[in-house]
Amino acid sequence: MPIVAKTSRFSKYGRPTVAWVVGLMFFFPIFWMVLTSFKTDADAVKPEHLIWFTPTLENYLNMTENYDYWRFAKNSVITAVFATAFTLVVGIPCAYAMAFNPSKATKDVLMWMLSTKMLPAAAVLYPMTFLTKSAGLFDTHFLIILVLSLINLPIAIWMLFTYFKEIPKDIIEAGQMDGVSTMGEIKEILIPLAWGGIAATALLVFIFCWNEAYWTVRLTTTDAATLSKLIEGNRAPEGLFFGRLSAVSAAAVGPIVVLGWFCQKQLVQGLTFGAVK
Amino acid sequence: MSDRKLPRLLQTPAVLLLLVWMLIPLGMTLYFSFIRYVLNSLRRPEWTTPNLSNWRGFGNYEFVLKSKDFLFAIQNSLFIVCSILILTVILGVLIAVLINKTFPGQGIVRVLLISPFFVMPAVNAVLWINMILDPVLGLQGIAIGSINELLESLRNVPLVDWFFSLWPKLEPISFRATQTSAYAVIIMVTWQWTPFAVLIFMTSLQSEDQQQKEAAVLDGASAWSQFRFLTLPHLARPIAIVVMIQAIFHLSLYAEIEIVSRGNGNKNLPYLIGEFANNNIGAASATGIFAVILANIVAFFLLRMIGKTLME
Repeated sequence: MPIVAKTSRFSKYGRPTVAWVVGLMFFFPIFWMVLTSFKTDADAVKPEHLIWFTPTLENYLNMTENYDYWRFAKNSVITAVFATAFTLVVGIPCAYAMAFNPSKATKDVLMWMLSTKMLPAAAVLYPMTFLTKSAGLFDTHFLIILVLSLINLPIAIWMLFTYFKEIPKDIIEAGQMDGVSTMGEIKEILIPLAWGGIAATALLVFIFCWNEAYWTVRLTTTDAATLSKLIEGNRAPEGLFFGRLSAVSAAAVGPIVVLGWFCQKQLVQGLTFGAVK
Repeated sequence: MSDRKLPRLLQTPAVLLLLVWMLIPLGMTLYFSFIRYVLNSLRRPEWTTPNLSNWRGFGNYEFVLKSKDFLFAIQNSLFIVCSILILTVILGVLIAVLINKTFPGQGIVRVLLISPFFVMPAVNAVLWINMILDPVLGLQGIAIGSINELLESLRNVPLVDWFFSLWPKLEPISFRATQTSAYAVIIMVTWQWTPFAVLIFMTSLQSEDQQQKEAAVLDGASAWSQFRFLTLPHLARPIAIVVMIQAIFHLSLYAEIEIVSRGNGNKNLPYLIGEFANNNIGAASATGIFAVILANIVAFFLLRMIGKTLME
Protein backbone atom coordinates (compact mmCIF):
# COMPACT_ATOMS: atom_id res chain seq x y z
CA MET A 1 0.00 0.00 0.00
CA PRO A 2 1.46 3.34 -0.98
CA ILE A 3 0.35 5.19 2.11
CA VAL A 4 1.96 2.74 4.46
CA ALA A 5 5.16 2.76 2.42
CA LYS A 6 5.29 6.54 2.54
CA THR A 7 4.72 6.81 6.27
CA SER A 8 7.20 4.08 7.04
CA ARG A 9 9.99 5.84 5.14
CA PHE A 10 9.37 8.91 7.25
CA SER A 11 9.16 6.74 10.34
CA LYS A 12 12.43 5.09 9.50
CA TYR A 13 14.66 8.12 8.86
CA GLY A 14 12.76 11.38 9.18
CA ARG A 15 11.13 10.92 12.56
CA PRO A 16 14.24 9.78 14.44
CA THR A 17 16.32 12.55 12.86
CA VAL A 18 13.86 15.32 13.70
CA ALA A 19 13.27 13.89 17.17
CA TRP A 20 16.98 13.73 17.92
CA VAL A 21 17.54 17.28 16.66
CA VAL A 22 14.69 18.61 18.81
CA GLY A 23 15.87 16.63 21.84
CA LEU A 24 19.43 17.89 21.51
CA MET A 25 18.22 21.47 21.03
CA PHE A 26 16.21 21.32 24.23
CA PHE A 27 19.09 19.84 26.12
CA PHE A 28 21.69 22.19 24.66
CA PRO A 29 21.43 25.01 27.27
CA ILE A 30 22.04 22.51 30.07
CA PHE A 31 24.95 20.98 28.17
CA TRP A 32 26.33 24.46 27.61
CA MET A 33 26.11 25.31 31.28
CA VAL A 34 27.95 22.13 32.23
CA LEU A 35 30.60 22.74 29.54
CA THR A 36 31.13 26.32 30.73
CA SER A 37 31.46 25.10 34.30
CA PHE A 38 34.74 23.40 33.32
CA LYS A 39 36.24 26.63 31.96
CA THR A 40 38.09 29.24 33.98
CA ASP A 41 36.23 32.52 34.39
CA ALA A 42 38.60 34.11 31.89
CA ASP A 43 38.19 31.39 29.25
CA ALA A 44 34.42 31.35 29.62
CA VAL A 45 33.98 34.68 27.83
CA LYS A 46 36.62 34.22 25.11
CA PRO A 47 35.22 33.19 21.71
CA GLU A 48 38.44 31.36 20.87
CA HIS A 49 37.85 29.07 23.84
CA LEU A 50 34.22 28.44 22.95
CA ILE A 51 34.71 24.74 22.35
CA TRP A 52 38.46 24.15 22.71
CA PHE A 53 39.76 24.89 26.16
CA THR A 54 41.72 23.24 28.94
CA PRO A 55 39.11 21.79 31.26
CA THR A 56 39.50 22.60 34.92
CA LEU A 57 37.78 21.41 38.06
CA GLU A 58 38.74 24.59 39.84
CA ASN A 59 35.19 26.00 39.76
CA TYR A 60 33.80 22.95 41.49
CA LEU A 61 36.64 22.71 43.98
CA ASN A 62 36.23 26.35 44.95
CA MET A 63 32.45 26.17 45.19
CA THR A 64 32.45 26.08 48.97
CA GLU A 65 34.86 28.96 49.18
CA ASN A 66 33.15 31.08 46.51
CA TYR A 67 29.55 30.42 47.31
CA ASP A 68 29.28 28.37 50.49
CA TYR A 69 27.41 25.87 48.28
CA TRP A 70 26.97 23.05 50.80
CA ARG A 71 25.15 25.15 53.37
CA PHE A 72 22.52 26.13 50.79
CA ALA A 73 22.37 22.61 49.39
CA LYS A 74 21.77 21.21 52.86
CA ASN A 75 18.89 23.64 53.40
CA SER A 76 17.40 22.73 50.02
CA VAL A 77 17.50 19.02 50.85
CA ILE A 78 16.03 19.47 54.34
CA THR A 79 13.21 21.79 53.29
CA ALA A 80 12.28 19.88 50.13
CA VAL A 81 12.28 16.46 51.82
CA PHE A 82 10.25 17.50 54.84
CA ALA A 83 7.88 19.67 52.82
CA THR A 84 7.19 16.78 50.43
CA ALA A 85 6.58 14.42 53.34
CA PHE A 86 4.29 16.86 55.10
CA THR A 87 2.36 17.54 51.89
CA LEU A 88 1.71 13.82 51.47
CA VAL A 89 0.76 13.30 55.10
CA VAL A 90 -1.87 16.02 54.88
CA GLY A 91 -2.77 15.43 51.24
CA ILE A 92 -3.33 11.66 51.14
CA PRO A 93 -6.08 11.54 53.79
CA CYS A 94 -7.76 14.56 52.23
CA ALA A 95 -7.69 13.09 48.71
CA TYR A 96 -8.88 9.76 50.14
CA ALA A 97 -11.88 11.40 51.76
CA MET A 98 -12.70 13.27 48.58
CA ALA A 99 -12.38 10.24 46.33
CA PHE A 100 -14.21 7.64 48.42
CA ASN A 101 -16.61 9.69 50.52
CA PRO A 102 -17.46 12.54 48.20
CA SER A 103 -20.17 15.00 49.10
CA LYS A 104 -21.86 17.65 47.01
CA ALA A 105 -19.27 20.16 48.13
CA THR A 106 -16.26 18.04 47.19
CA LYS A 107 -15.87 19.50 43.73
CA ASP A 108 -16.17 23.05 45.04
CA VAL A 109 -13.67 22.40 47.81
CA LEU A 110 -11.22 21.04 45.29
CA MET A 111 -11.74 24.01 42.99
CA TRP A 112 -11.34 26.40 45.90
CA MET A 113 -8.08 24.71 46.87
CA LEU A 114 -6.74 25.16 43.36
CA SER A 115 -7.84 28.76 43.33
CA THR A 116 -5.66 29.47 46.37
CA LYS A 117 -2.73 28.64 44.12
CA MET A 118 -3.72 31.54 41.93
CA LEU A 119 -3.41 34.16 44.62
CA PRO A 120 -0.35 36.15 43.66
CA ALA A 121 2.32 35.56 46.28
CA ALA A 122 3.54 39.12 45.89
CA ALA A 123 0.17 40.38 47.11
CA VAL A 124 0.67 38.84 50.53
CA LEU A 125 4.44 39.09 50.77
CA TYR A 126 4.50 42.06 53.08
CA PRO A 127 1.99 40.67 55.60
CA MET A 128 3.83 37.35 55.53
CA THR A 129 7.17 38.99 56.26
CA PHE A 130 5.57 41.07 58.98
CA LEU A 131 3.82 38.11 60.62
CA THR A 132 6.71 35.69 60.43
CA LYS A 133 9.16 38.24 61.77
CA SER A 134 6.95 39.05 64.73
CA ALA A 135 6.40 35.34 65.40
CA GLY A 136 10.13 34.73 65.27
CA LEU A 137 9.72 32.27 62.42
CA PHE A 138 11.47 34.29 59.73
CA ASP A 139 14.41 32.48 58.16
CA THR A 140 13.73 29.14 59.88
CA HIS A 141 13.51 25.70 58.31
CA PHE A 142 10.14 25.24 59.93
CA LEU A 143 8.66 28.23 58.12
CA ILE A 144 10.05 27.28 54.72
CA ILE A 145 8.85 23.68 55.10
CA LEU A 146 5.39 24.90 56.06
CA VAL A 147 5.17 27.41 53.22
CA LEU A 148 6.46 24.96 50.61
CA SER A 149 3.90 22.39 51.78
CA LEU A 150 1.07 24.86 51.64
CA ILE A 151 1.82 26.12 48.16
CA ASN A 152 2.07 22.57 46.83
CA LEU A 153 -0.83 21.08 48.73
CA PRO A 154 -3.56 22.00 46.21
CA ILE A 155 -1.74 20.46 43.24
CA ALA A 156 -0.79 17.40 45.30
CA ILE A 157 -4.38 16.83 46.47
CA TRP A 158 -5.66 17.25 42.94
CA MET A 159 -3.15 14.72 41.56
CA LEU A 160 -3.80 12.22 44.34
CA PHE A 161 -7.55 12.64 43.98
CA THR A 162 -7.42 11.80 40.27
CA TYR A 163 -5.50 8.58 41.00
CA PHE A 164 -7.64 7.50 43.93
CA LYS A 165 -10.78 8.03 41.88
CA GLU A 166 -9.64 5.34 39.44
CA ILE A 167 -9.45 2.72 42.20
CA PRO A 168 -12.64 0.64 42.30
CA LYS A 169 -14.69 1.50 45.37
CA ASP A 170 -15.42 -2.18 45.99
CA ILE A 171 -11.86 -2.84 47.01
CA ILE A 172 -11.97 -0.15 49.66
CA GLU A 173 -15.44 -1.21 50.77
CA ALA A 174 -14.32 -4.82 51.09
CA GLY A 175 -11.81 -3.56 53.63
CA GLN A 176 -14.59 -1.80 55.52
CA MET A 177 -16.59 -5.04 55.68
CA ASP A 178 -13.65 -6.77 57.24
CA GLY A 179 -13.68 -4.17 59.96
CA VAL A 180 -10.48 -2.45 58.97
CA SER A 181 -10.25 1.04 60.44
CA THR A 182 -10.06 4.07 58.19
CA MET A 183 -6.40 4.62 58.88
CA GLY A 184 -5.82 0.92 58.25
CA GLU A 185 -7.62 1.22 54.93
CA ILE A 186 -5.36 4.03 53.86
CA LYS A 187 -2.22 2.28 55.02
CA GLU A 188 -2.94 -1.29 53.99
CA ILE A 189 -5.14 -0.92 50.92
CA LEU A 190 -4.98 2.54 49.41
CA ILE A 191 -1.28 3.32 49.55
CA PRO A 192 -0.12 0.01 48.06
CA LEU A 193 -2.75 0.24 45.30
CA ALA A 194 -2.02 3.84 44.38
CA TRP A 195 1.71 3.60 44.88
CA GLY A 196 2.58 4.75 41.34
CA GLY A 197 0.42 7.83 41.62
CA ILE A 198 1.72 8.69 45.06
CA ALA A 199 5.30 8.35 43.87
CA ALA A 200 4.65 10.62 40.89
CA THR A 201 2.97 13.18 43.15
CA ALA A 202 5.85 13.08 45.61
CA LEU A 203 8.33 13.53 42.80
CA LEU A 204 6.54 16.52 41.32
CA VAL A 205 6.09 18.17 44.71
CA PHE A 206 9.76 17.59 45.47
CA ILE A 207 10.77 19.22 42.18
CA PHE A 208 8.54 22.21 42.83
CA CYS A 209 9.90 22.57 46.37
CA TRP A 210 13.50 22.38 45.25
CA ASN A 211 12.95 24.94 42.50
CA GLU A 212 10.68 27.36 44.37
CA ALA A 213 12.11 30.84 44.05
CA TYR A 214 9.71 33.31 45.60
CA TRP A 215 9.10 32.50 49.24
CA THR A 216 12.42 30.74 49.74
CA VAL A 217 14.17 33.89 48.57
CA ARG A 218 12.07 36.39 50.45
CA LEU A 219 11.41 34.66 53.76
CA THR A 220 15.03 33.75 54.42
CA THR A 221 18.33 35.52 54.94
CA THR A 222 20.96 32.93 55.87
CA ASP A 223 19.88 30.13 58.18
CA ALA A 224 17.24 28.54 55.95
CA ALA A 225 18.31 29.97 52.58
CA THR A 226 18.07 27.43 49.75
CA LEU A 227 19.89 27.05 46.45
CA SER A 228 17.38 29.31 44.69
CA LYS A 229 18.42 32.10 47.01
CA LEU A 230 22.08 31.36 46.37
CA ILE A 231 21.70 31.62 42.60
CA GLU A 232 19.43 34.64 42.70
CA GLY A 233 21.81 36.42 45.04
CA ASN A 234 24.81 35.75 42.83
CA ARG A 235 23.45 36.38 39.38
CA ALA A 236 26.60 37.69 37.76
CA PRO A 237 27.02 41.14 36.36
CA GLU A 238 27.59 40.75 32.61
CA GLY A 239 30.43 38.45 31.82
CA LEU A 240 31.95 38.19 35.24
CA PHE A 241 32.41 34.76 36.75
CA PHE A 242 30.59 32.78 34.03
CA GLY A 243 32.73 29.77 34.84
CA ARG A 244 32.14 29.62 38.57
CA LEU A 245 28.51 30.66 38.19
CA SER A 246 27.96 27.81 35.73
CA ALA A 247 29.53 25.37 38.14
CA VAL A 248 27.38 26.37 41.08
CA SER A 249 24.28 26.45 38.85
CA ALA A 250 25.05 22.98 37.54
CA ALA A 251 25.52 21.80 41.12
CA ALA A 252 22.20 23.40 42.09
CA VAL A 253 20.14 21.72 39.37
CA GLY A 254 22.24 18.55 39.07
CA PRO A 255 20.61 16.50 41.84
CA ILE A 256 17.09 17.22 40.67
CA VAL A 257 17.83 16.65 36.97
CA VAL A 258 19.43 13.30 37.72
CA LEU A 259 16.53 12.36 39.98
CA GLY A 260 14.17 13.31 37.17
CA TRP A 261 16.04 11.11 34.70
CA PHE A 262 15.81 8.10 36.97
CA CYS A 263 12.14 8.66 37.68
CA GLN A 264 11.02 9.70 34.22
CA LYS A 265 9.00 6.48 33.81
CA GLN A 266 6.94 7.36 36.89
CA LEU A 267 6.49 10.89 35.59
CA VAL A 268 5.47 9.81 32.10
CA GLN A 269 2.88 7.40 33.48
CA GLY A 270 1.95 9.47 36.45
CA LEU A 271 1.43 13.02 35.24
CA THR A 272 -2.12 12.79 34.04
CA PHE A 273 -4.07 15.11 36.36
CA GLY A 274 -7.14 13.14 35.40
CA ALA A 275 -6.64 13.95 31.74
CA VAL A 276 -6.44 10.31 30.72
CA LYS A 277 -9.27 7.89 31.02
CA MET B 1 -20.63 3.15 62.66
CA SER B 2 -18.89 6.08 64.21
CA ASP B 3 -15.87 5.19 62.14
CA ARG B 4 -17.68 6.39 59.01
CA LYS B 5 -17.51 9.97 60.16
CA LEU B 6 -13.77 9.91 60.18
CA PRO B 7 -13.30 9.81 56.39
CA ARG B 8 -14.94 13.20 55.87
CA LEU B 9 -13.02 14.64 58.81
CA LEU B 10 -9.81 13.67 57.09
CA GLN B 11 -10.22 16.64 54.80
CA THR B 12 -10.17 19.12 57.65
CA PRO B 13 -6.43 19.47 58.22
CA ALA B 14 -5.83 20.34 54.59
CA VAL B 15 -8.83 22.64 54.39
CA LEU B 16 -7.97 24.44 57.61
CA LEU B 17 -4.33 24.90 56.70
CA LEU B 18 -5.20 26.36 53.32
CA LEU B 19 -7.90 28.54 54.81
CA VAL B 20 -5.50 30.06 57.33
CA TRP B 21 -2.81 30.37 54.68
CA MET B 22 -5.22 32.25 52.46
CA LEU B 23 -7.27 34.33 54.85
CA ILE B 24 -4.78 35.83 57.28
CA PRO B 25 -2.33 37.36 54.78
CA LEU B 26 -5.19 38.30 52.48
CA GLY B 27 -7.04 39.99 55.32
CA MET B 28 -3.93 41.94 56.24
CA THR B 29 -3.38 42.94 52.63
CA LEU B 30 -6.93 44.15 52.46
CA TYR B 31 -6.46 46.17 55.63
CA PHE B 32 -3.17 47.72 54.49
CA SER B 33 -4.72 48.62 51.16
CA PHE B 34 -7.10 51.02 52.92
CA ILE B 35 -4.58 52.85 55.10
CA ARG B 36 -1.58 55.05 54.52
CA TYR B 37 1.37 52.84 55.31
CA VAL B 38 4.93 53.47 54.18
CA LEU B 39 8.19 51.98 55.41
CA ASN B 40 10.18 55.20 55.52
CA SER B 41 8.94 58.73 55.76
CA LEU B 42 10.84 61.64 57.26
CA ARG B 43 7.95 64.04 56.85
CA ARG B 44 5.16 61.83 58.13
CA PRO B 45 6.65 59.35 60.61
CA GLU B 46 3.15 58.43 61.82
CA TRP B 47 2.53 56.65 58.51
CA THR B 48 5.29 54.14 59.16
CA THR B 49 3.18 52.03 61.52
CA PRO B 50 -0.03 50.39 60.38
CA ASN B 51 -2.80 52.17 62.19
CA LEU B 52 -6.50 52.70 61.61
CA SER B 53 -6.11 56.44 62.18
CA ASN B 54 -4.21 56.60 58.89
CA TRP B 55 -7.33 55.49 57.03
CA ARG B 56 -7.20 56.41 53.36
CA GLY B 57 -10.33 54.80 51.95
CA PHE B 58 -9.91 54.01 48.29
CA GLY B 59 -7.02 56.47 48.02
CA ASN B 60 -4.40 53.77 47.47
CA TYR B 61 -6.54 52.20 44.76
CA GLU B 62 -6.89 55.55 43.01
CA PHE B 63 -3.16 56.13 43.30
CA VAL B 64 -2.43 52.73 41.73
CA LEU B 65 -4.99 53.16 38.95
CA LYS B 66 -3.48 56.52 38.06
CA SER B 67 0.14 55.31 38.08
CA LYS B 68 1.37 54.90 34.53
CA ASP B 69 2.80 51.45 35.18
CA PHE B 70 -0.38 49.76 36.29
CA LEU B 71 -2.10 49.24 32.95
CA PHE B 72 1.20 48.34 31.33
CA ALA B 73 1.92 45.75 34.03
CA ILE B 74 -1.46 44.09 33.48
CA GLN B 75 -1.03 44.04 29.72
CA ASN B 76 2.50 42.74 30.06
CA SER B 77 1.38 40.00 32.50
CA LEU B 78 -1.24 38.81 30.05
CA PHE B 79 1.12 39.14 27.08
CA ILE B 80 3.76 37.00 28.78
CA VAL B 81 1.35 34.36 30.11
CA CYS B 82 -0.62 34.00 26.88
CA SER B 83 2.49 33.84 24.69
CA ILE B 84 3.97 31.12 26.87
CA LEU B 85 0.71 29.16 26.84
CA ILE B 86 0.37 29.30 23.07
CA LEU B 87 3.99 28.35 22.43
CA THR B 88 4.15 25.52 24.96
CA VAL B 89 0.88 23.95 23.82
CA ILE B 90 1.78 24.04 20.12
CA LEU B 91 5.35 22.84 20.66
CA GLY B 92 4.18 20.30 23.22
CA VAL B 93 1.62 18.72 20.89
CA LEU B 94 4.06 18.60 17.95
CA ILE B 95 6.86 17.07 20.00
CA ALA B 96 4.60 14.59 21.78
CA VAL B 97 3.23 13.35 18.45
CA LEU B 98 6.75 13.26 17.02
CA ILE B 99 8.21 11.03 19.71
CA ASN B 100 5.14 8.90 20.31
CA LYS B 101 6.30 6.18 17.87
CA THR B 102 9.23 3.95 18.70
CA PHE B 103 12.53 4.82 17.05
CA PRO B 104 16.18 4.16 17.88
CA GLY B 105 17.14 6.08 21.01
CA GLN B 106 13.60 7.07 21.95
CA GLY B 107 14.37 6.73 25.63
CA ILE B 108 17.40 9.01 25.42
CA VAL B 109 15.56 11.62 23.37
CA ARG B 110 12.80 11.61 25.96
CA VAL B 111 15.29 12.17 28.76
CA LEU B 112 16.96 15.00 26.84
CA LEU B 113 13.60 16.60 26.13
CA ILE B 114 12.19 16.64 29.63
CA SER B 115 15.39 17.79 31.35
CA PRO B 116 14.65 21.54 31.18
CA PHE B 117 11.59 21.01 33.35
CA PHE B 118 13.81 20.12 36.30
CA VAL B 119 15.93 23.27 36.09
CA MET B 120 15.17 25.82 38.80
CA PRO B 121 13.85 29.18 37.52
CA ALA B 122 16.74 31.15 39.00
CA VAL B 123 19.30 29.02 37.14
CA ASN B 124 17.17 29.09 34.01
CA ALA B 125 17.13 32.89 33.97
CA VAL B 126 20.82 33.32 34.82
CA LEU B 127 21.81 30.77 32.19
CA TRP B 128 19.75 32.19 29.35
CA ILE B 129 20.26 35.88 29.89
CA ASN B 130 24.03 35.66 30.48
CA MET B 131 25.40 32.71 28.62
CA ILE B 132 23.02 32.39 25.71
CA LEU B 133 21.23 35.65 24.95
CA ASP B 134 23.85 38.22 25.94
CA PRO B 135 24.58 40.40 22.88
CA VAL B 136 28.34 40.43 23.48
CA LEU B 137 29.47 37.56 25.68
CA GLY B 138 26.60 35.13 25.23
CA LEU B 139 26.33 32.60 22.43
CA GLN B 140 24.13 35.02 20.51
CA GLY B 141 26.80 37.71 20.57
CA ILE B 142 29.58 35.26 19.76
CA ALA B 143 27.64 33.72 16.88
CA ILE B 144 26.77 37.06 15.35
CA GLY B 145 30.29 38.33 15.91
CA SER B 146 31.81 35.40 14.05
CA ILE B 147 29.34 35.69 11.16
CA ASN B 148 30.32 39.35 10.85
CA GLU B 149 33.98 38.41 10.90
CA LEU B 150 33.43 35.83 8.22
CA LEU B 151 31.58 38.35 6.07
CA GLU B 152 34.32 40.87 6.67
CA SER B 153 37.01 38.49 5.47
CA LEU B 154 34.93 37.49 2.44
CA ARG B 155 34.71 41.14 1.51
CA ASN B 156 38.46 41.07 0.89
CA VAL B 157 38.39 38.05 -1.38
CA PRO B 158 38.76 39.02 -5.04
CA LEU B 159 35.90 38.23 -7.43
CA VAL B 160 33.26 37.75 -4.69
CA ASP B 161 34.08 40.89 -2.69
CA TRP B 162 31.42 42.99 -4.46
CA PHE B 163 28.82 40.34 -3.60
CA PHE B 164 29.56 40.21 0.11
CA SER B 165 30.06 43.93 0.48
CA LEU B 166 26.35 44.21 -0.35
CA TRP B 167 25.50 42.07 2.67
CA PRO B 168 24.50 43.91 5.82
CA LYS B 169 26.48 43.82 9.01
CA LEU B 170 24.43 41.86 11.56
CA GLU B 171 23.45 43.49 14.82
CA PRO B 172 22.98 41.34 17.92
CA ILE B 173 19.71 41.84 19.79
CA SER B 174 19.97 43.15 23.31
CA PHE B 175 17.53 41.32 25.55
CA ARG B 176 17.89 43.89 28.30
CA ALA B 177 15.47 46.48 26.91
CA THR B 178 11.89 46.68 28.17
CA GLN B 179 10.19 44.83 25.33
CA THR B 180 12.98 42.46 24.41
CA SER B 181 13.43 41.30 27.99
CA ALA B 182 9.78 40.26 27.98
CA TYR B 183 10.68 38.13 24.93
CA ALA B 184 13.64 36.73 26.83
CA VAL B 185 11.33 35.72 29.69
CA ILE B 186 8.93 34.09 27.23
CA ILE B 187 11.79 32.18 25.58
CA MET B 188 13.22 30.84 28.82
CA VAL B 189 9.90 29.89 30.40
CA THR B 190 8.75 28.23 27.17
CA TRP B 191 11.99 26.26 27.14
CA GLN B 192 11.33 25.11 30.69
CA TRP B 193 7.62 24.32 30.43
CA THR B 194 7.35 22.76 26.96
CA PRO B 195 8.73 19.54 28.48
CA PHE B 196 5.90 19.60 31.01
CA ALA B 197 3.36 19.85 28.19
CA VAL B 198 5.17 17.06 26.34
CA LEU B 199 5.06 14.83 29.44
CA ILE B 200 1.32 15.23 29.85
CA PHE B 201 0.49 14.91 26.15
CA MET B 202 2.75 11.87 25.83
CA THR B 203 0.93 10.13 28.68
CA SER B 204 -2.36 10.92 27.03
CA LEU B 205 -1.27 9.72 23.58
CA GLN B 206 -0.33 6.35 25.02
CA SER B 207 -3.99 5.79 25.80
CA GLU B 208 -5.12 6.72 22.30
CA ASP B 209 -7.32 4.14 20.64
CA GLN B 210 -4.97 2.27 18.30
CA GLN B 211 -7.71 0.24 16.60
CA GLN B 212 -9.44 3.42 15.59
CA LYS B 213 -6.20 4.67 14.12
CA GLU B 214 -5.60 1.47 12.20
CA ALA B 215 -9.10 1.63 10.82
CA ALA B 216 -8.45 5.19 9.72
CA VAL B 217 -5.24 4.14 7.97
CA LEU B 218 -7.07 1.34 6.16
CA ASP B 219 -9.70 3.83 5.06
CA GLY B 220 -6.89 5.83 3.51
CA ALA B 221 -7.02 8.74 5.94
CA SER B 222 -4.00 10.98 5.52
CA ALA B 223 -1.60 11.56 8.39
CA TRP B 224 -2.95 15.09 8.69
CA SER B 225 -6.59 14.05 8.98
CA GLN B 226 -5.66 11.36 11.50
CA PHE B 227 -4.00 14.05 13.55
CA ARG B 228 -6.79 16.56 13.05
CA PHE B 229 -9.76 14.27 13.69
CA LEU B 230 -8.40 11.63 16.06
CA THR B 231 -5.35 12.85 17.92
CA LEU B 232 -6.29 16.47 18.49
CA PRO B 233 -9.75 15.77 19.96
CA HIS B 234 -8.14 13.12 22.15
CA LEU B 235 -5.75 15.79 23.46
CA ALA B 236 -8.45 18.34 24.30
CA ARG B 237 -8.52 17.46 27.98
CA PRO B 238 -4.79 17.34 28.56
CA ILE B 239 -4.49 20.67 26.75
CA ALA B 240 -7.02 22.17 29.16
CA ILE B 241 -5.01 20.78 32.09
CA VAL B 242 -1.72 22.11 30.75
CA VAL B 243 -3.23 25.56 30.20
CA MET B 244 -4.66 25.60 33.68
CA ILE B 245 -1.55 24.49 35.56
CA GLN B 246 0.71 26.79 33.59
CA ALA B 247 -1.61 29.76 34.07
CA ILE B 248 -1.40 29.13 37.81
CA PHE B 249 2.37 29.19 37.73
CA HIS B 250 3.00 31.94 35.21
CA LEU B 251 0.56 34.52 36.53
CA SER B 252 2.87 34.79 39.52
CA LEU B 253 6.09 34.72 37.50
CA TYR B 254 8.73 36.62 39.42
CA ALA B 255 12.27 35.24 39.60
CA GLU B 256 12.80 35.28 35.85
CA ILE B 257 11.57 38.84 35.48
CA GLU B 258 13.65 40.06 38.36
CA ILE B 259 16.84 38.47 37.07
CA VAL B 260 16.33 39.41 33.43
CA SER B 261 14.93 42.88 33.76
CA ARG B 262 16.70 44.50 36.68
CA GLY B 263 14.32 47.41 36.74
CA ASN B 264 14.39 48.14 33.01
CA GLY B 265 10.63 48.61 32.88
CA ASN B 266 9.65 45.07 31.88
CA LYS B 267 7.25 44.26 34.69
CA ASN B 268 4.24 42.13 35.36
CA LEU B 269 1.75 42.60 38.16
CA PRO B 270 3.69 40.70 40.87
CA TYR B 271 6.80 42.66 39.96
CA LEU B 272 4.96 45.97 40.19
CA ILE B 273 3.74 44.97 43.65
CA GLY B 274 7.32 44.24 44.61
CA GLU B 275 8.38 47.68 43.41
CA PHE B 276 5.68 49.44 45.40
CA ALA B 277 6.52 47.32 48.43
CA ASN B 278 10.00 48.84 48.58
CA ASN B 279 8.35 51.67 50.42
CA ASN B 280 4.65 52.17 49.85
CA ILE B 281 2.96 49.19 51.48
CA GLY B 282 -0.47 50.75 51.04
CA ALA B 283 -0.09 50.98 47.27
CA ALA B 284 1.53 47.55 47.09
CA SER B 285 -1.42 46.07 48.97
CA ALA B 286 -3.96 47.79 46.73
CA THR B 287 -2.12 46.44 43.67
CA GLY B 288 -2.14 43.05 45.36
CA ILE B 289 -5.91 43.20 45.68
CA PHE B 290 -6.15 44.06 41.98
CA ALA B 291 -3.92 41.08 41.24
CA VAL B 292 -6.16 38.84 43.33
CA ILE B 293 -9.18 40.06 41.38
CA LEU B 294 -7.42 39.44 38.06
CA ALA B 295 -6.35 35.97 39.19
CA ASN B 296 -9.90 35.19 40.22
CA ILE B 297 -11.27 36.24 36.85
CA VAL B 298 -8.76 33.99 35.11
CA ALA B 299 -9.36 31.20 37.63
CA PHE B 300 -13.11 31.40 37.13
CA PHE B 301 -12.85 30.59 33.43
CA LEU B 302 -10.07 28.04 33.79
CA LEU B 303 -11.73 26.15 36.62
CA ARG B 304 -15.01 26.04 34.76
CA MET B 305 -13.14 24.67 31.78
CA ILE B 306 -11.68 21.72 33.67
CA GLY B 307 -14.18 21.45 36.50
CA LYS B 308 -16.69 19.66 34.32
CA THR B 309 -14.30 16.91 33.32
CA LEU B 310 -12.75 16.57 36.75
CA MET B 311 -15.57 14.80 38.56
CA GLU B 312 -16.47 12.31 35.82
